[in-house]
Amino acid sequence: MLRFLIRRTLGAAVILLIISALVFVLFYAAPRDPARIACGKVCTPETLALVKKNLGIDHSLPVQYWDWLKGLFVGRDYTSFGHCDAPCLGYSFQNREPVLATIEDRFPTTLSLALGSSVVFLIFGVGTGMLAAVKQGKALDKIASSASLIASSMQIFVIGVLATYLFVDQLHLLDRANYTPFTEDPGKWFTGLLVPWLVLSLIFTANYTRMTRSQMVESLSEDFVRTARAKGLSRRTVFFRFAWRGAMGPIITIFGLDLGQLLGGAIITEYTFSLQGIGALSVKAVSTNDLPVLLGVVLVAAAAIVIFNIIVDAVYALVDPRVRLA
Amino acid sequence: MSLSRRNFVIATSVAAAGSTLLSACSSGGGGGGNTPTDGATSYTGAKVTIGTKADSTGPAPEIPGAKKGGTIYGLSPQDFSHLDPQRIYYAYNSTAALLLHRCLTGYKTDSAGHQTLVGDLATDTGTASKDNKTWTFTLKEGLKWEDGSELTVEDVRHGIERLWAPFITESATYVQLALTGKGAKWRDAYEGPYKGKHLDSIVTDKAKRTITFHLAEPKPDFNFTLGMHSYAATSPKLDTKEKYDKLPAACGPYKIKAHTTDKSMVLIRNKNWDPATDSIRNAYPDSFEFTFGINILDSTDRFIADQGNDQYAVSIYKEVPAERIQKVLTDPQLKARSFNGLLTGLYYYAINTKRVTDLKVRQALNYAWPLQQIRQIYGGPTAGEIATSIMSPDLIGYEKYDLYGKNTKPQGDPEKSKALLKEAGKLGTKVVYAFPNDPTYMKTKVVIENALKAAGFTPVMKPVDQTTYYDQIQQINNSYDVMWFGWSPDWPTAFTVIQPLFDGAVIGNGLNNISQTNISWINEGIKKNAVIPDQKEAGKAWSALDKRIMQEVAPIIPETFQRRYYLHGSKVGGAQMDPQFASTLLYKTFVKA
Amino acid sequence: MSTPFLSLRDLKVHFSTEDGVVKAVDGLSFDLEKGKTLGIVGESGSGKSVTNMAILGLHDPRNTTMDGEILLDGKELIHASESELEKLRGNKMSMIFQDALASLSPYHTIGAQIAETYRKHTGVSKKEARARAIEMLRRVGIPQPDIRVDDYPHQFSGGMRQRAMIAMALVCDPELLIADEPTTALDVTVQAQIMDLLKDLQQEFGTAIIFITHDLGVIADIADDVLVMYGGRCVERGTKKQVLSAPDHPYTLGLLNSMPSLDGAVDVPLSPIPGSPPSLLNPPSGCRFHPRCGFTEKVTGGLCSTERPALEVAEGRGSACHLTADQKRDLFADFAATRHN
Repeated sequence: MLRFLIRRTLGAAVILLIISALVFVLFYAAPRDPARIACGKVCTPETLALVKKNLGIDHSLPVQYWDWLKGLFVGRDYTSFGHCDAPCLGYSFQNREPVLATIEDRFPTTLSLALGSSVVFLIFGVGTGMLAAVKQGKALDKIASSASLIASSMQIFVIGVLATYLFVDQLHLLDRANYTPFTEDPGKWFTGLLVPWLVLSLIFTANYTRMTRSQMVESLSEDFVRTARAKGLSRRTVFFRFAWRGAMGPIITIFGLDLGQLLGGAIITEYTFSLQGIGALSVKAVSTNDLPVLLGVVLVAAAAIVIFNIIVDAVYALVDPRVRLA
Repeated sequence: MSLSRRNFVIATSVAAAGSTLLSACSSGGGGGGNTPTDGATSYTGAKVTIGTKADSTGPAPEIPGAKKGGTIYGLSPQDFSHLDPQRIYYAYNSTAALLLHRCLTGYKTDSAGHQTLVGDLATDTGTASKDNKTWTFTLKEGLKWEDGSELTVEDVRHGIERLWAPFITESATYVQLALTGKGAKWRDAYEGPYKGKHLDSIVTDKAKRTITFHLAEPKPDFNFTLGMHSYAATSPKLDTKEKYDKLPAACGPYKIKAHTTDKSMVLIRNKNWDPATDSIRNAYPDSFEFTFGINILDSTDRFIADQGNDQYAVSIYKEVPAERIQKVLTDPQLKARSFNGLLTGLYYYAINTKRVTDLKVRQALNYAWPLQQIRQIYGGPTAGEIATSIMSPDLIGYEKYDLYGKNTKPQGDPEKSKALLKEAGKLGTKVVYAFPNDPTYMKTKVVIENALKAAGFTPVMKPVDQTTYYDQIQQINNSYDVMWFGWSPDWPTAFTVIQPLFDGAVIGNGLNNISQTNISWINEGIKKNAVIPDQKEAGKAWSALDKRIMQEVAPIIPETFQRRYYLHGSKVGGAQMDPQFASTLLYKTFVKA
Repeated sequence: MSTPFLSLRDLKVHFSTEDGVVKAVDGLSFDLEKGKTLGIVGESGSGKSVTNMAILGLHDPRNTTMDGEILLDGKELIHASESELEKLRGNKMSMIFQDALASLSPYHTIGAQIAETYRKHTGVSKKEARARAIEMLRRVGIPQPDIRVDDYPHQFSGGMRQRAMIAMALVCDPELLIADEPTTALDVTVQAQIMDLLKDLQQEFGTAIIFITHDLGVIADIADDVLVMYGGRCVERGTKKQVLSAPDHPYTLGLLNSMPSLDGAVDVPLSPIPGSPPSLLNPPSGCRFHPRCGFTEKVTGGLCSTERPALEVAEGRGSACHLTADQKRDLFADFAATRHN
């Protein structure tokens, strides 16, 4: 296990390094100048040069990348902001806020959104999928299957607006989407995120329903499930301890990847509900040519995916003893 | 405000490179004379006047029915990009600056949207020497910073001297140019205030509370220029340099209590602001609470739902989006909670005169252009007025004319166009039209292409990546004949439109004379009009120049003066459009009893 | 004859599918005494596994119709409730499956799987159940059972897995053991060991065994009685000696001819039965074997394709064929000559 972790962590670090370098290169390959924004409406070449110096982008690409990397590991000194401790992700071109602090500020929103909706779609998706598998071919199965098909073809920005209109504005059942830190007021945190959770999870629920159903159906036809029944175990025990155990592996794998992706920001959901998470931050970073923020966000998103890949592999090994970590 | 306002991505960012062009510290009457038939609030479209000393004396006239107290909530897709007044040039940032900062001059707006230039920090709109090269202002008494310290002429001077600090790169540059006379090299003339030296060209007398500007060139509208927030006062003692952008010291009616970047900002009353010194601002609410990151559909739906604190909410600057405009205009309850006005800027199509060299062809383009169909795509008459001149109705001296029959045949006049092309022997001329590839302009492209074909042209349509659109068309060696564009004046004199767009001296990569017009009588006319002392006289001269440019050069095809609609909560009183910055005039709002 | 321990009477197992009704078992009867081994022979799809799954009640009731009678120690099973069956399964009757790797849960240790069965039926503590599991593993010949008890199935060799499977099936001392081709996937040496193991255990506990296989060699080794199935029906039955040395049905004859001689006569060419097993969705009319049978023209009136031959059993011996005893004696004579010296 330790060896696995060390090996995979090293691999992840290399991947993140390559990704950051790629973002750097691609960013400067685009025909836009990040200095142009801070240069204002009257942008003379003199002012542009000054802005580049202020932003620390008056050096060659490799030097800039090296400075950025160094900042990440040993910190960095800025003329206008002073020392930035490692891990230093630099300062936003756009609003001159430290990138790390910005991400730390936004991440809880994205984390809350991801975890909350995960709970919802796991409960409903896996639950419905299991029910559908038990009631294979019956009305309930057919309803669940077609409902999930409809749900998965929905657009978040459509149902998001609809759900808000219906449940918030008309029926006054739920609170308007709004992020309150959990540490500040768990109640408000919950009610403020409930609508985004439900909407975001709707699409995932559909996927998990279908996946759980098919995995369970497959698993239920396995020989070892038949053996378990032949041993005299009850349907219930067989269903949960044997069939579900077999269906879990693929679901955990997909869930890990989904969660990793969600932690990189649910852009459309965040936009629809005006939540300020990693997704909204990344959209802003792209539209304002804000390289430091963009790099920070990409790193967080990539790290989330890579880390969850490792976790998935580790958990898979726990679930399925045939898999050995190496 | 953003040029590409219909673009989802760009619209989420005030400061995307492209949107830097149109807009700024403009001013003017609430809108043109012709209000759309379907129910816009009436704006009579008065030009800006220059106020007297009495107009400049506070307090601001009471708004009937208004009372002090409560909180007004503001919603916006994005945070203010700058709060350091010297770094403010975008209209949107000025919306906040109006509550926090004060300049020597400012605009007093009445309930009909009429604006008067008055002294803000100064007792009046200043005194110019005969040659318009020396301007003197006297400060009002009782001016204080939020910490209670006195606001002096040295603070006004420091605000201007800070513009030389290397970290300030976003400001307007009119005053720097005027003070140094060194053109683009203005930074070389002074090392900035942080090493103890002052500008020689500004003389202050603390005892008499006077400040005198010695300009290198005559500037009869210099008092308009000084109303831009780039030239607001900043105390050297309270100046925290780079950090000032996050937490500037206030001398206006409100100060910053809390600010979380991109999320929220809370403004509370600045107890050291004396209403008696301020003829512009009413400041009824005890506080403002702004929430950022609310997309415009979301905020519009919240205004429509009108629940909880949203009843006390205004849109800081975002208009009702096209998707909801019909709902707002057809529901009387919603319409009662809306207000609207014209933008001060002009949307137009620049013709590259270096490529399209024949005047007749440029005139034929003007005849051919299908303005009505284009406006229909923007949303019909509610989307704005059809433009026929360079100057917008808000500019001093504006006179309406219609050289190419756009009022009689707004759908285009293909016969006239064809006849002109035939005359020039240019029937079938190839025209390359460049436009941003966002959904709206992909639609207008179609009607333009059809109209050009009907009018005897061979159109070539060139969509350009919307995020780099301005950078690409601002290259002087680009391969486009006609380019979609827009421009908004920095203050309500035509100098701020005609000079940047048609002065032969400002042709270059990244500059705005993209029609590359370089004609000696235009260049001279700009120089001459810029120094006419009386602004009314100057206005007449500008209007004549405007018409002559369109008649004898026709370097652009004017398109529209656009209209914006805004919503607010039911418990908000006094909400009206700020004609200067195309936003809600926050300091006039109040909480209804 | 006393009441048999297990008795099937006219068992029918029909599956409803999208294409129609599959008559997997279509009227099967047999008896089995304690301490005896019944070998059931037949090709894939002949209904032998379906029969045994039916005894355990493992068919999905949503698409299965069962008819007839299954009496285990006098208790009727077809209409027994699920919970009654659960008490019997793994306890009084248990089953060994063919592919031990697929049939053992990959997610649980061998020991846990054995102990689980024991606990379910005896309610003893985990500790006792574990001790029992170790004992069972030792009994089936797993070396170091106290260590291997915590291994997962994939850590066992093929033979050891099958032993573990047997240990699991026998942990509650069942009175009926159904072994569904338990040795098919194993190599010959291991196969022999497993067979010996089963025989030993049977002797020790007096278990009744149903041994399903398509391998007549295995039958010769273990069975007391033999039942040959074809197309969901029994076509011949009798003692091992009767069936193997004096087959009374063309299909049994075909089976014997298609395998190497039991006593090692290698010079005789093998002749597989032509054609393929019948569709149970649309079974052939009359005798289900008739499309593949080489003797149909010997039967007058084309009875083979029109009339189902009755299974006439006397003293446990019988077959279902339209040929007369004389005809068979003549036609099957070759077989006796080549097979038995």
